[in-house]
Amino acid sequence: MPISREYKVGVFVIGTAATILLALLFLAAQKGFFQTSHTYTLSCRTGDGLAVGMPVVFSGFDIGRVHSLELDDKGAVLIKIRVPDKHAKWIRQDSFFVLYRPLIGAARIVVNTDHLESPPLAEDKIAEVYVVNDINDAIEKIQPLLETIERLSRRIDSMAAKTDEQVFGREGTLPQLNKILKDAAGKLEKLETTVDNLNKISKDAAEGTQDLGALRADIDEVAQTLNKVSRDIDALLYKQKKPEIKLP
Amino acid sequence: MSIPEKIGNYISGRIQALARMIFFAVKVFRRVMTPATYNSATRTVLINQIYFTSVQILPVFLLVSAVVGSLFIGVVFQALKNLGLVSLLGNVLMGLIVTELSPFFTVLLITLRSGAAINAEIAAMQVNREIKALEVFRIDIIDYLLAPRVVNGIISVVLLSFLFSIVLMTSGILFSRVIFGISTDVYVNILLNSTNFSDIVVALLKCAAFGFFITLIPIYSGLQATHELTSIPIVVSRGMVRVFAAILVIEVLSLLIRLL
Repeated sequence: MPISREYKVGVFVIGTAATILLALLFLAAQKGFFQTSHTYTLSCRTGDGLAVGMPVVFSGFDIGRVHSLELDDKGAVLIKIRVPDKHAKWIRQDSFFVLYRPLIGAARIVVNTDHLESPPLAEDKIAEVYVVNDINDAIEKIQPLLETIERLSRRIDSMAAKTDEQVFGREGTLPQLNKILKDAAGKLEKLETTVDNLNKISKDAAEGTQDLGALRADIDEVAQTLNKVSRDIDALLYKQKKPEIKLP
Repeated sequence: MSIPEKIGNYISGRIQALARMIFFAVKVFRRVMTPATYNSATRTVLINQIYFTSVQILPVFLLVSAVVGSLFIGVVFQALKNLGLVSLLGNVLMGLIVTELSPFFTVLLITLRSGAAINAEIAAMQVNREIKALEVFRIDIIDYLLAPRVVNGIISVVLLSFLFSIVLMTSGILFSRVIFGISTDVYVNILLNSTNFSDIVVALLKCAAFGFFITLIPIYSGLQATHELTSIPIVVSRGMVRVFAAILVIEVLSLLIRLL
């Protein structure tokens, strides 16, 4: 049996509308619309970053919302937060509240409770809110670093100026070095002449050495001749066998 | 005629045309809100209109929603991860994708499919003098022709937009698990924390406004056709341009309302 057009439309409309309604009811239930809630009053020196509807967070979970903001007679900001019954157990007398404004993301009120066994916070008591501001913290952390960088920059500038004076100044290293180099160049020129002379002397000495060699050969020859003469004389003396020799 | 006179005439004509359209919109809206409008003939037309606009395209719409939505969610989630803005996942998902992308995507699809069809249908009826014939038979064209189509536009855009959001959020479960390693419970918790009733109400009102105007403007343009066939494409193209301008205006207005 074919399904009629009316039936299909009816199923589509009723089904989708019912799903929307159920989703909204689920959302409402999860948001605590059907729950009774506690209203606590907090006090803060400034209203900067505060807004109605801002989440109240405990251990990273949303447990309530900022319901209203108003100024008291002394100029302090009174923050009324609404917390559903099921989350009221996290708020005790020793709980402290921090307005946390991160560098990125929405601001929130963070509840910190050290002792969960302490008595519940009375709704007529006004607790103080401390402000933690990531932007200011970041600026505070960066400020000393910036000052150090600035100081370093000034020192580097000063050192650069001194170095400039010492290296390039009238009495600086570079002009003196130039002067020394000029002197060295002059001395080197003189040294070159000396080296030339030395070369000449060395050449003459080499030539002299050759003459000495010939002289020594002559002396050797003379010595050999003398040696021979001596041996001849010795032989003659032996043949005479006379102890005394009468010299002419 | 001098140039200032021509400019004055042009502006005056535009303002008068806009005033006539607003007057027509108010007239149709009042009839839509009147229970007596919904006689048996009107109800039959309304059922047929919803069938053609929503039920008939539902499988294709869900398929396209799954593909486009998954693609968009994947790109956005990956960008959030790369930028280190994982904490803004819920805000982006609810504030951008559910309350902005879903109505916009849905209204574009319905405008392209049904808005153009309604415009051409009414223009053709005008050319063929069918609307004149209905008036001769003392059939109220607002009750019989206009109201069912406008109501169909409102219902279809609201419901299909919601279905688109459901598909997106479902694909978000998969992508948040793959890209961020977030479990379903945590994902649902993030969504709940980021959801505001005011945003949902504004999104629903925006969908209803979209649905009202993307059917009303084509009908109004169609009724401006003359008795010549050549006037049909002229009024259809004029009507579609007006519809897209209306979509942009509604988008801007909804953004302003959310900011206030």
